[in-house]
Amino acid sequence: MELDHFLRDPQSRRRFFRMTGVSAAGASAVLLGACGDDTKNPVQLGPDESDQADVEILNGLLDLELMAIAAYKAGAPKLGGERLGIVKVFLEQEQAHADGLSGSIEDLDGKPNRAKSDYDFPVLRTDADVLRFALDLENTAIAAYIDALPKFSEKKLRSTAASIITNEAEHASVLLHALGREPVPAALVTGRAA
Amino acid sequence: MAFVAITDGAASTAEVAAFERDRRELLRHGFGFGGTALMASSIPLLWSVRSAFAEAGGDGDAPVLAKAINLERVTVVAYDSLIAGELLSPSVRGVLRRFRAHEQQHAETLTTSLTSLGGTPPAPPAGPADVDRVVEGLRDVRSQSDVLSFLIELETAAVAAYFDAQAKLSEPKLLQTSASIMANEGQHLVVLRRRAGRDPLPNAFETGEQ
Repeated sequence: MELDHFLRDPQSRRRFFRMTGVSAAGASAVLLGACGDDTKNPVQLGPDESDQADVEILNGLLDLELMAIAAYKAGAPKLGGERLGIVKVFLEQEQAHADGLSGSIEDLDGKPNRAKSDYDFPVLRTDADVLRFALDLENTAIAAYIDALPKFSEKKLRSTAASIITNEAEHASVLLHALGREPVPAALVTGRAA
Repeated sequence: MAFVAITDGAASTAEVAAFERDRRELLRHGFGFGGTALMASSIPLLWSVRSAFAEAGGDGDAPVLAKAINLERVTVVAYDSLIAGELLSPSVRGVLRRFRAHEQQHAETLTTSLTSLGGTPPAPPAGPADVDRVVEGLRDVRSQSDVLSFLIELETAAVAAYFDAQAKLSEPKLLQTSASIMANEGQHLVVLRRRAGRDPLPNAFETGEQ
């Protein structure tokens, strides 16, 4: 699929995230399914159920991180110079997020999801395409994490998720700058729902 | 838990005081943190701001919101003071004006949230003298480099405060709003660090720890 079509068509984006196992992306279907759709009236869960709900949320977010890692690895060969350096840093930091999420899932006696063997990424023809697709992934991740925040039973997971959101927002800012756009476009960073 | 390595930062008054003593001692001996020399006058900044959230008393979300509003308003005053000075290039002044507008929007958003909970917003800071009660060092900046260092530390402290707030707030919408604000402060940091010639992305987990 061509990147421009992917970015402009919400249905294509939803289909992509669903097919790559990331149904939590933006719309947060996995997150909602894990612990209820209504954040104003959260369902009261017992300790084991709470842990299981947290595991499901964490695995939805892990799916996103694993996909981002694959995307950066796929896009890196198209980049050079400063832009390649940027993506290498992003790759390291997304891996750190994935490792942290996996560790937390295991601590809750859950099993971390694995990366897919293949992701059907849109066609990335230029270095600008790589950056634009990366920006879309970062914004989707921000939206998914923000959606997840109130659903965590464990408060420390909220703080840690917020620290990841902030790092993803920093990535978005660096990408916007590299694309010649305003690096801090809004006072409230919300990402974008798929 | 794997994430426990990142503490929740709910620093007690004694911990804050001890940290500040250690930090002052290090600086007296000519050491900065992380290899970066800090202005002596900004020593207490990080922990004095952070402890404001940690010590928010009372029940519910309102006390944390009140502290956050005060922090944002003080940040606006700090930006106003620096923008009005003569130390900045036109380009950096333009950046600071945009960031000042963001901080103002944060304060207004949080004030709306507090009011909807039936709370009363704190009295607004009157000027730089009130800034000193939360953030020291504003009057000691002597160069654009000092301005950037001061703001990097202030924004970092704000990130730390909102990181702590995640464990203190309970209303779902407030958790999301505070994370959105925290993320914006992180984006400010990217720009400020770059302008200061520093690594714009030093931390995979942006917790406000220096």
